[in-house]
Amino acid sequence: MTITTFLSHQWSSFWRARNANKSMAIQIVLGIFYLLVFLEIAALGIFLPYFLQEKMPGKEPVFLFCSYIIYYFLVGLLFRFQLQELPSLSIQPYLAQNIKRSSMLRFLNVRSLVHIINILPLFVFIPFSVIVILPAYGALATTCFLLSMLAMVLNNHFLNLYIKRKSINSSWWFFGIVIAIALVKGLDYFHILSFEKTSGNIFTGLLHHPWLCVIPASMAVITFFINNNYVKNHLYIEELVSERKLKVNRNYSLLDKYGDIGDIIALDLKLIFRNKRPRSLIILSGIFLLYGLMFYPKYLQTGNYTMLFLFALIITGLFISNYGQFLFAWQSSHFDGLMSYNINMKQYIKAKFYLFLTVCTLQFLLASFYGFMGWRILPIQLAAFLYSIGVNGFVTIYAATFNARYLDLNKSASMNFQGVGAVQWLQSLLISFGPAAIFYVLNKFAGFWPAVLSISALGIAGLIFNEQIIHWLAGQFNLRKHTILQGFREK
Amino acid sequence: MISIKNLQKSYKGIVAVDINSLEINAGEVIGLVGNNGAGKTTFFRLLLDLIRANSGEILSKGKLVTATEDWKHYTAAYIDEGFLIDYLTPEEYFYFIGKLHQLSKADVDDVLQSHQAFFDDAILKKGKYIRDFSKGNQFKIGIAAALLGNPELLILDEPFANLDPTTQLRLIDMIKQLAADKSMCIIVSSHDINHVSEVSSRILLMEKGKIIKDIAGGEAAYEEMVDYFKVK
Repeated sequence: MTITTFLSHQWSSFWRARNANKSMAIQIVLGIFYLLVFLEIAALGIFLPYFLQEKMPGKEPVFLFCSYIIYYFLVGLLFRFQLQELPSLSIQPYLAQNIKRSSMLRFLNVRSLVHIINILPLFVFIPFSVIVILPAYGALATTCFLLSMLAMVLNNHFLNLYIKRKSINSSWWFFGIVIAIALVKGLDYFHILSFEKTSGNIFTGLLHHPWLCVIPASMAVITFFINNNYVKNHLYIEELVSERKLKVNRNYSLLDKYGDIGDIIALDLKLIFRNKRPRSLIILSGIFLLYGLMFYPKYLQTGNYTMLFLFALIITGLFISNYGQFLFAWQSSHFDGLMSYNINMKQYIKAKFYLFLTVCTLQFLLASFYGFMGWRILPIQLAAFLYSIGVNGFVTIYAATFNARYLDLNKSASMNFQGVGAVQWLQSLLISFGPAAIFYVLNKFAGFWPAVLSISALGIAGLIFNEQIIHWLAGQFNLRKHTILQGFREK
Repeated sequence: MISIKNLQKSYKGIVAVDINSLEINAGEVIGLVGNNGAGKTTFFRLLLDLIRANSGEILSKGKLVTATEDWKHYTAAYIDEGFLIDYLTPEEYFYFIGKLHQLSKADVDDVLQSHQAFFDDAILKKGKYIRDFSKGNQFKIGIAAALLGNPELLILDEPFANLDPTTQLRLIDMIKQLAADKSMCIIVSSHDINHVSEVSSRILLMEKGKIIKDIAGGEAAYEEMVDYFKVK
């Protein structure tokens, strides 16, 4: 069995995944999206030198580039911890077949390399080297420089795999590297020790003495063999997959008071914290809270309240749109059970609404600290919060009753479009740009306060009539219940 | 308990379930047999309102299962892993199901205590999520959870297939006892005609969606089934 057979199986498994989006339109949209990402990254590589010169005039772009390489590799390792999965399980069906261990090993190594995180950096390094380094340093130096970068990527790649295989808990490594980055940047910032300068010196040194590329190359070879040997000696599924910790029973006593609704919310919380994909969505919602730091000051200064409102909507409502677009699909693997347990459907829908309400309130309270930037942020965020929960919450639940695509909770979230359909694209546009458009018109023709108050009023109206709306939503859900169940059963 | 009239379900023109009329009473243990594709699981899903019938109706205690949710109070089922919430520990799952039937933690603990022999020390306090248990043990969890609410109607899809021999025999005793003591109505499907004829008071044989035999359980039923399933 050759490596090409293995890879062709993987190719089939990718394209024949049951839930692969079959609709042509979505394939095209996704294709364009990926293309744009790649083009943007390549453009970054091409325009980087000009950009660097403009930002920091008087400094040599090559040296600057080289001084940031250290961050690239540290941050890259961080991303790898989050994004890269061990491809071990894909060899499970082959283990008992008449196949040599060495060829399985080769397959595992090659398979692991096929990952966006290994490909993207090349889109920066290659254009940069060709445009900037080649004219200044010549072909030999450029080749050796590229070779070293490639070696560093491979080094990072196998180092990450090794750490992931070796350690039960890679989150310690994760935080360790976060601290390392903070330390490197901090020491530099206070002019105590400049790692940036060292990094710059090392990599420009590489350009002057191309033969030095044997050092990174041999580092890559060493990590490759360390990882390779480890896998070779542990070619058993239970040893290749990272070990399990003992799981504890949890009980959210705070939620106990709220009867069935509390129990269903507790179920959702456990779902979020114990499964990879929803967990990373939550982390994302947290990161988006910081959006205000980036965008608020600019729009406060220019008095663009519509943009402020749009970002306030994203900040307060991100959980609703992120978690809500798969509201029922998260539970697709046990939806048969859920629908036959002793749960009243109205209670079920109500629990979803209260989950939104709780998390959204939390996001709103945290975001209120932005009030320090300017008082106008507070009424805008309040309006966005009320609208998110009072209108968008219900719209999201309604839209979710049309989503009957199975979702695997344990696939990682990044670049994962499983379960995404046309409804989700429409929905995310509708719930953010719809209210922003209303705000824009009102703000333009009636003024700031009428806009804030009208948006808030819409949200408050939704909250006042929540009983009636939830009743109606439960009816809508029951209408499509069988379709949803049918869809979720088709894994 | 259950009353079915003109029930029909087909997929793309192929009949999956086609039952003219059927009455199932409290205290009966129904054994549902038939080769793969006979429509057993589809029938179960129809009983639980998990799929919509093309025509006909199912009444549970006189009420349409499609129109109300009242049947959920007294009906419990275990068909496959889709009935388990796999990111919970077994204990968490039992407490959750128990609470839906107004059982306190202590109540649930009591019931679990009585299942100790059935669990055979493989389920509780293992520090694992349900997804990390073997299929047989997942089945045990599913059955135990289904029994928690003290249902009047219990539906089990091929319970013998995934259980070890000891537990299979224990389950047969359990089912007999529940039907006798609590006059629980129990419907089990099985490919094991030996077990099913022993445990059932009534056997329904399905073929291509239709119930072609409706006979009393026991030795005679076993002979009749052997005769039917024999390779011709």
